[in-house]
Formats: sequence, C-alpha cells, structure tokens
Amino acid sequence: MSDDAQHEHTFDSADAGASKTAPIQCSALRKNGFVVIKGRPCKIVDMSTSKTGKHGHAKVHLVGIDIFTSKKLEELCPSTHNMDVPEVKKERWTLINIDDGFLNLVDNDGKEKNYVKVPEGELGEKIQEAFDADKDCTIEIQISMGEEAAIKLDAA
Amino acid sequence: MSPTEQNPNLPPSQATEAVLVPSDELPEGAQKVEEIDFNAFKGKPITVDDVLQGMKHMGFQASSMGEAVRIINEMRAWRDPETGARTTIFLGYTSNMISSGLRGIFRYLVQNNHVSCIVTTAGGIEEDFIKCLGDTYMSSFSAKGAELRARGLNRIGNLMVPNANYCAFEDWVVPILDKMLEEQEASKGTEEEVNWTPSKVIHRLGKEINNESSVYYWAYKNNIPVFCPALTDGSLGDMLYFHTFKASPRQLKIDIVEDIRRVNTIAVRAKRAGMIILGGGVVKHHIANACLMRNGADYAVYINTAQEFDGSDAGARPDEAISWGKIKPGADHVKVYLEASACFPFIVASTFAKDA
Repeated sequence: MSDDAQHEHTFDSADAGASKTAPIQCSALRKNGFVVIKGRPCKIVDMSTSKTGKHGHAKVHLVGIDIFTSKKLEELCPSTHNMDVPEVKKERWTLINIDDGFLNLVDNDGKEKNYVKVPEGELGEKIQEAFDADKDCTIEIQISMGEEAAIKLDAA
Repeated sequence: MSPTEQNPNLPPSQATEAVLVPSDELPEGAQKVEEIDFNAFKGKPITVDDVLQGMKHMGFQASSMGEAVRIINEMRAWRDPETGARTTIFLGYTSNMISSGLRGIFRYLVQNNHVSCIVTTAGGIEEDFIKCLGDTYMSSFSAKGAELRARGLNRIGNLMVPNANYCAFEDWVVPILDKMLEEQEASKGTEEEVNWTPSKVIHRLGKEINNESSVYYWAYKNNIPVFCPALTDGSLGDMLYFHTFKASPRQLKIDIVEDIRRVNTIAVRAKRAGMIILGGGVVKHHIANACLMRNGADYAVYINTAQEFDGSDAGARPDEAISWGKIKPGADHVKVYLEASACFPFIVASTFAKDA
C-alpha cells in the first residue's frame, strides 16, 4: 500500500445529524427495526443467522431497504460485532409554499424549513395537486443521519 | 495303452499333464521373494532403512513402498549433465493430511527445499494456518456426528477440530483479506496492478503467519510456489464469501488463469519432472495435467487407496496417465496402495531425511 493511500481520509460532510446513530450487538437486531448498512439508514426486511462453524463466528445476514431511496442493501456481520442503529425521527410541518422544487414548511412555533425537496413520484404529484387546490397540507418529514425527506401528506 | 491302464497306482495322465505344466526356465537375475530376519538385528538398533530394505522384496505393498523409496531416491540423485540442474519435484497432498501429523513432514520437506512445488486443496492451505492458532485433537472414526455438532466439534476421520479454531482463523484472516483488497484497489490504473492468484494469496498468508511450524511460512521463505486451484472450497472460501458482503461493492479478485500458466511453465521448463502424489482428486490431476505440457513426468509415485473401477482419476494407476501423456512411457513409476499417514513417514525417513 502506498503511503498516500494510508493517509487518505474520507471526510464525511459535517452534518449535525450524521452522528445520530447508536451501536448495538448484531444479534440484538430485529426484523422491521432500523440499521445502518453501507452508511445508509435502512429498515430491516429480512434477517437470518448461521451458527458458529467451519465458516467461523456465528453470522447474521441482513437485508435492508434504504428508508430514503428504497434501495435494497445487504450485510453479513458476525453476530457478536456491533452495528449502528440510526435514529429515525418523524416531524409534522405545515406547507406554506412550493419554491423551485423545494417545500417551504413552517411548524407551530413559526419556525421555517425551506430545504426539503418535493419528493419524486406519486407523493410529489399529490403534494403539488393539494397545494394548487389551496388545501391545508401537513407534511410528515422523516429525519435520519442528517437526511430529511417528505414521506407523507395529510391534506384537508 | 496309457500308463494308468498299465499301472493303476499312477495318477491319470490327463491330470498329470493339466496340473504339472513344466515351468519355463526363469531369466537370470530374477528377483526372489526375500524375508526379513530380525535375528540379524539382535543386540543392535533397527532403523527404518533396515526395515524398508528388508521389506523391499517381501511382495505386495511392502514391495511397492520399496519401489517408492527407490524412485524418490533416483529423483533426488539425478543431475542434468550440462547444467547440474536437479529434478523438479511436484508434491501433492490433500487437506486431511495437513490436519494429520503428516503436516510436520510436509513442513520438513519445504523447510529443507526438498520439493520444487506443491499442489493441495483449500483445507490443505487453511488447516496449516489454523494449526498455528489452535490445536487439532484426536477423536474416533465412530464419534457421533450429532453429538459432535452439539459440542461445536468437526470430525476429520479420527481427528477433530473445535469451532473455536475457525473463529480464530476468521479473526486472523479477515483483516489480511481487507489489506489485500486495499492493495488491489490502490494499484488499479498503475503500472503494477495487483492481480491476486491462489499461489500469491498463499505466499502472502505464509508471510503473515510468521510461524515456523507452518508449511506455508517456509514455502514463503524458500519461495516454493504452492498451487491451490480450488482455493475457495473450504473455510477460506467461506471467508471470501463473507468478505464480498463486507467489501461490497468492491471485491477481492483471485485469478486462476495466471496460476495455471505458472504451474504449467514450471513443468515445461523442468529438465526432469518427478511427481509425489498423496491422495487423489484435484491435487493428483493438477500435477499430472501440468506434466502433460512437457509430454509427461519422468518419475511418478502415487500413494493412495483409491480404486480404478469407477473410472475416476483418483483411482487411476500411473499407466492410465501414460495413455494421456501425463507420465512418459519409459518413466519410473509406482502406485503404493497404502494410506499416506501409515507409510509416508517411513518413505521420507528412507529418502529425503536419510542423509540429514
């Protein structure tokens, strides 16, 4: 290995939420719970374990779905090793405007949030329709590991 | 009138002619069956060599063992008249033999540069390293599988390996796989791209284990190539499988094409080629196949208990390899129908270790 490669560090973007994960022993993970796979917050959709044997330590095989991109991710981890569980928060905000693909949101205290994108696909279209129809729109925002996304619309 | 009719006390002439066919005169120098007489050793120590010399003309597998000793000693004695080059000796053995105490004999052969090249299977690689991390124990052929499983013990014939050894192996090997992957990735697009092969992986692991009881530590030290075309068929394969998940989307690549070229080149360039093959399967055929590239080996010693009636290469006698050109028609060869752990220590004692 060259010296350069050894001293090369990857600096993650210094997001306030980036460290919002907690380690947990792999064997304590459960289906439908959350886990970080390849640096992405995922919901566990499948989980299986193999006992200790010729292949070494007992292993846990995890299949997760990225909670933001819906991409399938897999991980195989010795059951005694730790894995990170992401903190996943949900907040409800009122939609006041849509500006160049971004949602302008406000909460009950009058605090504004203007950096969440209009989601792609059906949900985004529904939000646009409801907003255009002057409906009162409450948007559920999912927050995890410094990433935020609109995941649900309540329109009245 | 027949003699019987003449004399009723003689056997019928038809019977006499059928039973008592007169024997041909045996050629001069025909080998008589010989016996070992332990009276001759009264009052002095009996050496392995004494016994093997005494067994040479006993017949059956005792004589095959004697043949193996003679052929190996010829391999060792030969020198190229022009260059002084020695016989290139290919040694093959299966995984179970590394699990057994034969490992110490292979280590001795490699440590002292007695062989030029080794071919083995995945277990033949990993069990050598695992033995540096934990012990293998005696068991019994009749130990119950279900009970052993419940106790986390794996049986190899009448030996057993605790699961803990494989956990220790995982803890040792995975960080090395990580480093090897890093080296592979870092070298991409450079002038010296790292292209791992089974023989390079084994060389690296031999360096990393840094333990004088290891066969592959000495292979690394003495630069003796060790080939394992089926490297993934064992615990190492399990580790490589799990490593793909850990490393994803990157992946450690291990190239068997570069290695087939390397092993065949060794055979092609050999002034003389000798094969010593313990057991069957990949290890037996891989060496024979490499020797095909040079129109056959000059010496062949097979030691295994496999039978030929199923048509497998494992059971094939040297004569079948001659038909393929893997052994030269005039080559010196023997198949010893004995289990390796029971005979190879004596063969080595009477050959490679003799003048040590």
